[in-house]
Amino acid sequence: MEFEAVIGLEIHVELNCATKMFCDCPNRPGDEPNANTCPTCLWLPGALPRLSQEALEKASLLCLSLGAELQPRSAFDQKVYYYPDLPKGYQLSQAHLPLSRSGGIDIVDEDGSTRRLRIHHIHMEEDVAKLVHEMEGRLPISLVDFNRAGAPLVEIVTEPDFRTPYQAMEFLKALRTRVRYVGSSDCSMDNGTMRADANISIRPRGTDQMNTKVEVKNMNSVRHVGDAIAYEIARQTAAVQAGEPVVLHTRLWDPDKKATLPMRAKFDGPCVPDPCVPAIELSSEWIDQMRARLPEMPAERAERLAAQHGLTREDALSLSADPEVAAYFDTLVEHGAAPRNAMHWLTTQLIPAVKERQQKLSVSPVTAERLAALLGMLAKDEINANAAREVLAEMFGCDETPETIVARRGFKQVSDAGALDPLIDKVLAEQAGAVSDFRSGQAKALGFLVGQVMQASGGKANPKVIRDLLSEKLGAG
Amino acid sequence: MEPILQQDLTIAVPPDISVRGWPAEAGSKALAGYTALEDATVVRRLREAGAHLRASGRASEFGFGLLDERPGAAPLPPVADEAAGETAVTCAGVATGVAADDIGAPADAELVMDFMGESRLAAARASVYGFKPSYGLVSRYGLIGLIPSMECCGIVSGSLDAIGAILQTVAGQDGLDFSLPDEDPPDLSPQQIRPEETIIGVITEAQGAPASGDRQGPPAPGHAEGFRAGLEKLRRLGFTLREMSVPGYALFSLVHRVVGSVEASSAAGRYDSVRYGPRAPGAKNWNEMYLMSRGAAFGTLVKSYLMQGAFFQFERYEAFVDACRIRARLVEDMRQLESKADFFVSPMSAGPAHGAGGGAGAPAPSADEGRSATPPSLAYVYECFSSTLFANVTGQPALYMPPAPGSAQTGFQLTGPRLSDSRLLALGRLISGSRGGE
Repeated sequence: MEFEAVIGLEIHVELNCATKMFCDCPNRPGDEPNANTCPTCLWLPGALPRLSQEALEKASLLCLSLGAELQPRSAFDQKVYYYPDLPKGYQLSQAHLPLSRSGGIDIVDEDGSTRRLRIHHIHMEEDVAKLVHEMEGRLPISLVDFNRAGAPLVEIVTEPDFRTPYQAMEFLKALRTRVRYVGSSDCSMDNGTMRADANISIRPRGTDQMNTKVEVKNMNSVRHVGDAIAYEIARQTAAVQAGEPVVLHTRLWDPDKKATLPMRAKFDGPCVPDPCVPAIELSSEWIDQMRARLPEMPAERAERLAAQHGLTREDALSLSADPEVAAYFDTLVEHGAAPRNAMHWLTTQLIPAVKERQQKLSVSPVTAERLAALLGMLAKDEINANAAREVLAEMFGCDETPETIVARRGFKQVSDAGALDPLIDKVLAEQAGAVSDFRSGQAKALGFLVGQVMQASGGKANPKVIRDLLSEKLGAG
Repeated sequence: MEPILQQDLTIAVPPDISVRGWPAEAGSKALAGYTALEDATVVRRLREAGAHLRASGRASEFGFGLLDERPGAAPLPPVADEAAGETAVTCAGVATGVAADDIGAPADAELVMDFMGESRLAAARASVYGFKPSYGLVSRYGLIGLIPSMECCGIVSGSLDAIGAILQTVAGQDGLDFSLPDEDPPDLSPQQIRPEETIIGVITEAQGAPASGDRQGPPAPGHAEGFRAGLEKLRRLGFTLREMSVPGYALFSLVHRVVGSVEASSAAGRYDSVRYGPRAPGAKNWNEMYLMSRGAAFGTLVKSYLMQGAFFQFERYEAFVDACRIRARLVEDMRQLESKADFFVSPMSAGPAHGAGGGAGAPAPSADEGRSATPPSLAYVYECFSSTLFANVTGQPALYMPPAPGSAQTGFQLTGPRLSDSRLLALGRLISGSRGGE
């Protein structure tokens, strides 16, 4: 019997708000342990939660970026469970009335078809504290860091529309791009600002059964999500084929063993409405205001870049995947850079250089305006590509214009035939063998001669002009 | 609104209302040794208005009910106030039988956590006024509570003017309590009531008439007559009395018990007895440590309440949902009545059949119930509060009016529409002022 998988995802995204969700403590979980705490996020007696406006706005933008419908009324519940990372005994979460419902993302499937993967709902919730397990001598101790307690999260719960690991990975990549676009989170699975759990079951292909699912957690990269789902599908298929039942439980992905392993279940209780956080009522005017704040989204941007600048679909999609890169590209072109050249220099030169220096593109000293000026000189043959690369490297360390650097370093390209003629004549005289080779039909000898003239010019000669002059002199016309 | 305390008031603050730097143990072992880090909003506002704050050293666990039922519990050590180094005897303290000698000089008023009528019942036992403000009128920030949707800071005093001044001082929006409704604050300045233009509703079912499934016992002997005498007095003052029915009245107690216990079960999770309070020794791991500490933290009454809430939460969740729905309907029923009457009057008895009647009309529980090794049952506590808890379910303001000394009348409870607090106090003043000639 052939089986197919039924997969749903639960994705937690940590919002990049300045403060925690229910108090004014800084939302910086990585600070000195327990530095960012107050009576509210420690849930000391008498403290009350106060919902952050910024969290609500960033969560709403996130929902809209995923095509979800913001609900006119949503509310927080107390999700009761007892664990030391949640010493108040419940987590504030929107179990009954989530912030948004529906929505979804279109992905391009492995066979090239477009597939819609639907979202069931998106709700807000607070993060819990972080547990740190250490040894004090030979005594194992466990510590609780409350810096993360109360950090603003949203949870995106999908419909069980996924059938393959590929679809899950594509969905996560597309989701990450959209959320980054609206600026609600950096969605990094590496540093834990995006975490995905997968609910996986299998069924005979072609049926609509919904069988017992297994939840898999602890995947900290998109690749791990794909690997864990693939492993779990294979594990469940083997179990069913061996006549063993699939039992409802939770497993952890072990990236070293490349396997899912059962984890001890946490006690999970029901949700009761929280009387302390007032219900959130969103007016249609407020929702319209949020919608108006949505930037051009990646799919639309890719379409525009392809149509407007003649980029290939792949290049346009690649540029649009990162809002920072896409915005930089737009500014480059606005400042006169030729789109294809801009695309080439951005992706092959600038981005690697920025990464190497551990900078962010948006705050790099090489602004789009400066790079456009450099590319303009290159386009006008005032400098050659080698010189342009050197100027670019220098632009990271100073705020001079590219023109100034070119002038200071003497990179200005020589394109004047009168100035180049003596050099060309000298090279032709010295390289009789190469001239003979070229005349006997070995075209590559021309490249050698161009290189010799470039060398003779100290790298300043315009290779295109040299090539033209050489061709003329050798009668290759 | 200009929050001005007209008098140089001494106000007793129980240990379940946070005063920065003062022990805030809420009468519970779960909070043993816990000191408040911040002032409750009510405390801060009173302090800023010039009130003298004194600690009242006794409270039932979390202020729930009125009885200190912890087996073998000794009086908590008195806490000196900042200025005088004295402690206050409290109205509730008097009501619970604590001798004034134990804890010092009287205060002008006391703040009392009101979950189901504690401020009114404490007042009834002390023959003073007990007031519960409208839900959402006074910030709950800093109150160490149990039932967030029903609890509030009540005020007990021998003076309605003091209650009014305190209310004016503590009421109003608070940036620390987002659960306060976003609404215009009512006018809390003293109001005028014209009896000839005022209709007072008398809820039939609140008078102890038997109803199906009603846990309320019959009123104490002589109580009905005393209440009728009080109604007659209201008529003579010129008020129009109108009998009206709330068919679901008997459900108030049930709704309070289900919703309140579920909220308490969840809310009490934060009192973990780990970050403060005594950790239970001997646990093999931290999960066990949490379980054992929580298990040892609460007294019998509160623990049974939390267990009851956990039962509804985990085993009968649909009952909780039903109770929430019924609550909404009861609130609506009461709102409907507000179109027919300006205020409501009801007897303050509803004590258990075995409870002592008491000359003041209050259902003072027997000394045995309060101090015996066997703690009072939840059923007993709910019977004690059966006539008061409806105002906590609906969020209406409520005022206990003590009988005039030597009067044949009993004390009674006045309630009004939500946010009619100032008018309700004005009504109380008018009735109280007319007693001089009796």
